[in-house]
Amino acid sequence: MKRRLVSTFAAVAAGTLLAGCGGGGPSSGGGKISDDKIVLGVLTDLSGVYADLAGANSVAAVEMAVADFRKKYGDKAVTDDIEVIKADHQNKPEIANTQAKEMYERRKADALFDVPTSSAALAVQTVAGQVKKLYFNTGAATTELAGKTCNPYTYAYAYDAYMLAQGTGAAVAKQGGKNWYTIYPDYAFGQDMQKKFSAAVTGAGGKIVAGDPTPFPADNYSTFLLKAKAMKPKPDILGALQAGGDLANVVKQYEQFKLKDAGIGLAIGLLFDSDIKAIGADKLAGTSFTTAWYWSLDDEAKAWADRFKDKTGVRPTFVQAADYSAATRYLEAVQQAGTDKAEDVSKKLDGAEFNDFFARNATIRAEDHRVVHDAYLVKVKDPAKATEAEDYTEPVKTIPAAEAFDAPSPDCSMS
Amino acid sequence: MIVALSRRLHARPLWVRAALLAAGLVAVFGLPWVLYPPVAADILCWGLFAVAFDLLLGHAGLLSFGHAAFWGSSAYATGLIAIHSGLPFYVAVLGGAVAAAVIALPIGWLAVRRSGIYFAMVTLAFAQLIYFTANQWGSVTGGENGLQNIPRDLPGVDLTDSFVYYYYALPVVLLGLLAAWRIVHSPFGRVAAGIRDNPARVRALGYSADRYKVVVFVASAFLSGLAGGLYAMNHGFASLQEVYWTTSGKVVVMTVLGGIGTLWGSLVGAAAVVRLEDWLSTSGFEQTQLVTGGIFIAVVLLFRRGVWGTVSHLLRRRDDPAGEDPEPGLVHDHEEETATEPVSASAP
Repeated sequence: MKRRLVSTFAAVAAGTLLAGCGGGGPSSGGGKISDDKIVLGVLTDLSGVYADLAGANSVAAVEMAVADFRKKYGDKAVTDDIEVIKADHQNKPEIANTQAKEMYERRKADALFDVPTSSAALAVQTVAGQVKKLYFNTGAATTELAGKTCNPYTYAYAYDAYMLAQGTGAAVAKQGGKNWYTIYPDYAFGQDMQKKFSAAVTGAGGKIVAGDPTPFPADNYSTFLLKAKAMKPKPDILGALQAGGDLANVVKQYEQFKLKDAGIGLAIGLLFDSDIKAIGADKLAGTSFTTAWYWSLDDEAKAWADRFKDKTGVRPTFVQAADYSAATRYLEAVQQAGTDKAEDVSKKLDGAEFNDFFARNATIRAEDHRVVHDAYLVKVKDPAKATEAEDYTEPVKTIPAAEAFDAPSPDCSMS
Repeated sequence: MIVALSRRLHARPLWVRAALLAAGLVAVFGLPWVLYPPVAADILCWGLFAVAFDLLLGHAGLLSFGHAAFWGSSAYATGLIAIHSGLPFYVAVLGGAVAAAVIALPIGWLAVRRSGIYFAMVTLAFAQLIYFTANQWGSVTGGENGLQNIPRDLPGVDLTDSFVYYYYALPVVLLGLLAAWRIVHSPFGRVAAGIRDNPARVRALGYSADRYKVVVFVASAFLSGLAGGLYAMNHGFASLQEVYWTTSGKVVVMTVLGGIGTLWGSLVGAAAVVRLEDWLSTSGFEQTQLVTGGIFIAVVLLFRRGVWGTVSHLLRRRDDPAGEDPEPGLVHDHEEETATEPVSASAP
């Protein structure tokens, strides 16, 4: 009888104790540096459509920042125990939500970086607000990060839809692309891009004649491309507001369906070096787009890009460069504050004006945590003129920080 | 049959059942001390969901492949109520469960006209309908972005810590489990089991089989809704994943792992799957489904009664080697004698 009781007990407990013990109960605090170490978490797309523009190389960029910080401060560093952890959010908001919580609470991350995919980025912002820890977004374009959903723990670091639209939308419309048919991925990023491009194109005297949401992610855009061809009157411009792997699909199919021959030009909302590589610089040569940074910008940028290439084998995208810059800003602020407590670190960051290889004439706006800096209107270089295989970018003009980003949104309240 | 049943009655005397119950309670109360609290709360939610599903599959013989519809629509409804009304989270969860039951009524009413694979397909079709509705109705559900920032309110209590939330969610889950147990062990549950085993005979006795099936279906959806609402509260988030067919598949896996028709086995199945997924994802292994799928195949091939079913079967056989050996999938926890007379000739 006794043995039976034991075995039934075991059956009940089987599920709960299946894989032994996990983390403990409520968390504990203490010390100036929590857990005596600083943990930088990179939450990114490690396997999907944005894995090239961010992904494993974003982790490499943050690791570089940590190595450089160690070298700079040596023994004077606030702690010599700095760790970089990573996780894959698969571009899904629910996974981002769980992973972010996991990284902050169980893996003790003090700050998260990267997070492409706007819907996932917004999910992480919610978690950062709940756990009261810092979050530097470099991968997502939605203006809501520093708008309606802003909170004191989130910094929108690299770029946003407003910057892209003001640069590209206005430039293309002024060059004669008046009537636009836009297609945008149906999630936070695409929806925001559509709004901002509408405003920018209309502001420059153009018009969005139609705009269609497309599934995200998707392989087949033929429905929309055929629609563009059949539309009457014919649009001057197809505005492709996709990003990453999706954008590559759109552009390839734009070629296949011969829209260019039909007199429909292509405008691209967001273009990364990794996309140009995937699509082919010859196909895109001459296409103008707006970027937060490009590696051949000047000697300082090139020097960093060379070190990046030594480590990873490729040139960095602007998201990866922004990750380095943000991680460095964060570590410097921790050094100054002498603690990794989010509120104290953020006091050192807010209102700071700085220049580095990535961010020029930069200010960390205290009122909405938008980091404003110069942006660039550029063109895809003719491969014949390129100095190396990954030299894709030809400057057109610099957009000064004050014009590149919108004024702080009235929707944002930090408290 | 009666002899076999009374033998089984002897196989588990009252004190063993009391000990089992006590052990189970200790396990659920101690869970957030051993596990990361959000994961512990996930186990509660999935556990209740799997039990609700087993109520339908194991005790009424209906394999629904669209239970994500109820789990997910409740997750959205709960979230919307909490966001727009600011009511205590219990009210929001209850509202979500009621919404799930309301959605289940027409679906069940239509689906019970078919059985077996056709029933599964009809429920899957409706669940996909709800998935696409949630996807397209972006202004309400947030579409691809999901419903974010669902508050967890209860006057006078700070529920931001998942550890605290666990203990406030636990009573709801226990009530849900109690309800499932009560349904199975009621005359109503007996009739449902009769419909599962021999619908023609139950009809001949004067019961409306379809109506019984609809009621079990709606009850199962209501309990699934409770679980889905608590899950949305746990994560502060409701997304399309909650109404996607993979969620329907996951609950089937849990129930089969635990043992179909064992009710409590589903809890073990849910705990095992959630714990395993968490363990795999934190150890950096990305192909979680490969492993859960492999285990599922092994269980189906080797232990057709599932974890719980196999254990209780082995225990019984040791006590009673000559006892009847019912078919896998038809192992039921009917310790008490079956109701020999219809309690109510008219359907409820």
